[in-house]
Amino acid sequence: MKPRRLLTISALHGIALALGIAIAVPAMAQSEGKKPRPDLVLTGDAKCTRCHDETEDYPVLAIGKTKHGTRADTRTPTCTKCHGDSETHANKPADAIERPAPDRAFGKRSKTPMAERSAVCLTCHQNSATRSHWDGSTHQTSEVACSTCHQIHTGHDKVRDKRTQPTVCFTCHKEQRGQIDRPSHHPIPEGKMTCSDCHNPHGSVGPKLMNRDTINDVCYTCHMEKRGPFVHNHEPVNEDCSICHNPHGTVTPTMLKMRPPFLCHSCHTPHSSNNIPSVNGQQVTGIASVGNTTGKSATNYAMARGCLNCHTQVHGTNNPSVMNPTPQFNLR
Amino acid sequence: MKTTNKTLDLVSTLVAAALLAGTGTAYAQDEDLVKLTQPESYIGAGIGGQTGNPSDRSIWGQYNGMRQDDVYLLFDFDYNKRDDATGQWTKIYGYNLGLDTREAGISFEKQGDWKLGLDFNQLVHREIYTVNSGMLGYGSTTPTIPANYPAPGAGTEFNPKTTRLSLGLNGDKWLNKALQFQFNVKSEDKQGTRSWGRGYDCASYVCLGQIGNATSTTRQRWAVLWIPEDIDSNITQVDAKLNFHTDKLFLSGGYYGSFYNNKAGNMRLTVPGSLNNPFPPNSPFFGSAPLSGAAPGGTSLQNVLQDPMALAPDNQAHQFYLTGTYAFTPTTRGNFKAAYTHATQNSSFASMGLTDGTQPTNDLGGELNTLLLQAGLTAHPIPKLTLNANILYEDRKDKTPLAVYNIEGAAPSTTWTNTPIGLTKTTGKVEASYLLPAMIKGTLGVNYQKIDRDLPAPGVEVAGLTGLRGNTEEWGIRGELRRSISETITGAVSYEYRDRDGSDWWNLCTSAACTAAGLVYGGTYPNGTMQSANNDLGAYPYMLADRKQEKIRASADWLPTENLSIQFVVQNQSDRYAPPSSAGLQKTNMTTYSVDSSLALSESWKLTAYASLGEQKVHTGQNTGYRASIKDTTTAFGLGVVGKPTGKLEIGGKVSYLDDVTKYPFTLYDGNTNAAAINQINTYGGLPNVAYREFRLNAYGKYALQKNADIRVDLIHFWAQLHDYNWTYLGVPFTYQDNTTVSIDPNQQVTFLGVTYIYKFK
Repeated sequence: MKPRRLLTISALHGIALALGIAIAVPAMAQSEGKKPRPDLVLTGDAKCTRCHDETEDYPVLAIGKTKHGTRADTRTPTCTKCHGDSETHANKPADAIERPAPDRAFGKRSKTPMAERSAVCLTCHQNSATRSHWDGSTHQTSEVACSTCHQIHTGHDKVRDKRTQPTVCFTCHKEQRGQIDRPSHHPIPEGKMTCSDCHNPHGSVGPKLMNRDTINDVCYTCHMEKRGPFVHNHEPVNEDCSICHNPHGTVTPTMLKMRPPFLCHSCHTPHSSNNIPSVNGQQVTGIASVGNTTGKSATNYAMARGCLNCHTQVHGTNNPSVMNPTPQFNLR
Repeated sequence: MKTTNKTLDLVSTLVAAALLAGTGTAYAQDEDLVKLTQPESYIGAGIGGQTGNPSDRSIWGQYNGMRQDDVYLLFDFDYNKRDDATGQWTKIYGYNLGLDTREAGISFEKQGDWKLGLDFNQLVHREIYTVNSGMLGYGSTTPTIPANYPAPGAGTEFNPKTTRLSLGLNGDKWLNKALQFQFNVKSEDKQGTRSWGRGYDCASYVCLGQIGNATSTTRQRWAVLWIPEDIDSNITQVDAKLNFHTDKLFLSGGYYGSFYNNKAGNMRLTVPGSLNNPFPPNSPFFGSAPLSGAAPGGTSLQNVLQDPMALAPDNQAHQFYLTGTYAFTPTTRGNFKAAYTHATQNSSFASMGLTDGTQPTNDLGGELNTLLLQAGLTAHPIPKLTLNANILYEDRKDKTPLAVYNIEGAAPSTTWTNTPIGLTKTTGKVEASYLLPAMIKGTLGVNYQKIDRDLPAPGVEVAGLTGLRGNTEEWGIRGELRRSISETITGAVSYEYRDRDGSDWWNLCTSAACTAAGLVYGGTYPNGTMQSANNDLGAYPYMLADRKQEKIRASADWLPTENLSIQFVVQNQSDRYAPPSSAGLQKTNMTTYSVDSSLALSESWKLTAYASLGEQKVHTGQNTGYRASIKDTTTAFGLGVVGKPTGKLEIGGKVSYLDDVTKYPFTLYDGNTNAAAINQINTYGGLPNVAYREFRLNAYGKYALQKNADIRVDLIHFWAQLHDYNWTYLGVPFTYQDNTTVSIDPNQQVTFLGVTYIYKFK
């Protein structure tokens, strides 16, 4: 091709592109002024997503992945339903040095009172069987708001997934964080159980925010074989499982608070005089002669399963036998 | 016109220019928007391998399904689909499908209208100990100890485990705008074996003539045996409720039914005619001393050990309840619950195979009826003031008929009946909070609890106790200062004090000293009388004893910069018991200190760290001769990091360390002058320490192969050390009378490496 013709075609390319850009930029600006910006996720969110768009560091648009972002449900709230009209935040007053915060914010540094933060959620979520006892509950009176535990602008709310829920609870409950790592524990570190399997953090009738009316009722949902009643009951079992057990985890097998004989000797007078709990190989003369020659010896109630070596039916037994030895001591 | 390449180039440029003018950056926005706003789904498939053997992994693999094998399939998926036009969701998930701790579920939901879901869950619990035994019939209800049981350590290795399989169906439906029906049905089968035992020290009236004294060399007096409890049962729960609401009122009425069914009623052990006493080895007191042989008016130890052992009976409970809330005014709200539970246990003894001797009844006829009433009120009479009040009343009536089930002693024997377990509990709380300056909320509260417990009727055996109590009553006060709103520091300080006492003690002491002091069985006497009559001996149940409890807690959450947060928590609880004796539990104390921090180094990198120290002390004493001051110290720390070195790569890791040591030092019980006891405590001081240490490293890397596909590598290192005197000490195992031993590898470690391909889609 002759150079002069090449130059002409290249010039035409450049002019065409320049014209396109020249039309596009003012057209976009003009469209902002004349046509309203479309909502991205929720009805009326254009007011907010004008700035809080897909380039935002904090993923506010992720609310669209959740039930809070389902527009087909007419109950779905808008941004301003939760955060308030926030006019001065959306349109910074000319005389303001810093852009004012939204009318209602839910972050750590927010000045919105906790009760007001929760009240927003409760306008929709109050009428629920699991939240009927929120008012006056331990978390509510301790100024824990819904947003303290729940994340709304995310497709994965950690506290609603049993594999990640404990890390949220451990933000405040440090003692339990260490306990669940002990060798005798419920399968919480393994992700098979979580705090809300036993507790209702939204409030409940039961003690310690148990999700049923009593501690025992919660335990029985998985350990119903302990419910009885039995021919021979063990009264503390029927009163409260936590008299003997720490369900968060212990070093003693079966999550006992103390290992036998000390736990049992908290209530019961032990067998035999001068029977000092001892292990095989650590017994002086005299203790050995007493210690190893009876079933109630110092070795037998310190080692293996301790008192439970013989008193195997510690939760109670339904054995009605009237033949000697009768099972009233929960031996069978 | 001929169309040349150059002409086509110009045309395409013109088209591009037109598009640019008309649509701006719309194409790029739509794709990003979909990614950010639509529910996500993924499938992850991979493989994982680990080091060691099952013994190295008994603590690590207790619940995670990765104890037995070296290689596992890793397979998870999560499908979430929403029809934006109708608001209908479809969710299907499956986790850990390559392991025996798998779970899966499917649910359909029209948001705001109805929901239906089905879920499956499998959980295997493997005991961390290994049993070595010659036992036959493991996993049955009739295990047998063969006559030629092996030497210690020469038997078969058993790892008891239980498997839970559950199936659940749940759903709800809005019948109209105010009325919703919800239901949940769950059925769980539990099967397997659990470490259990059988032991007996033959009372002379039982094995009359078989035992002369404790050093008899002709007849075995006692035996302690390990047996595997056979488990084959089902738990079914049914929950159905109707919820109704108006602007001010919310009501929920429902039914909760729970049913336990056990396929096995009893276990019967077969025991050979002679067993071993390995304490100490080659004891001069016992060799293979015979257990069998009839006794006049009595039986043999062998026969006693072979008596049937009852397993848990079937039982059921039905609860009907009504609960709700009412907004009296915009600032005053009440809640309540009323529930009635009818629980029964009427498994026939014959169906359970418990037929030895003449039964007083065909079944227990167990019946417990519980009435629960609760009412609460929250009010804000002025904006800065909040008032809370709550009262809970629980009345459990034991309607189980009394019958003679016990017989004790040689003829003429003493007979006893079953034990009633009714109780009435009243719990109340009143609290006032006021917003002070600087956004600090001050709270003062009073709480109360009274428990009335059924006392044994005449003819009820109560073993090993010196006294019982008809009721306990506890008052408490609580104060707190809390600051929740601040740009830099929030926190709270609280103090709580509780004081418990109760009715006079119901005497169970029939010793010569008690009788001489004028105490009668079943009479009621105050603390001081019981203490002096019984010479300050005998233990009393600690949950009935007088108690003073104090709790202090302080926490602070400090945000020194935008990127750094530091949290401090200190808490202490002490309980001081005052039973009518220096024996039993006397006091406990728990203290925990912890500090946590989080630092955002940049938009892409974040560090976390924590450290905690905890201490628990228990002081208890026994009139057999010792006092124990048990002390447990727990130290833990952790470090974590998450970051994105590049746009496609994400890495993370955390290390944690836990050190838990429990010490059992003894001192002599007051006034104990027994030479052997003094010698024992002076020589050994107490029991050996129990120590558990654990180190975990969890690291991962995730690389985006494509926009919708990642590859993830997980590296986990787990190290644990458990020193526990229960089963072995200085290399010498505790040995049961049939030479069964139980052991655990005290030093365990496992390294796991997994690679997973993750495909994401919408």
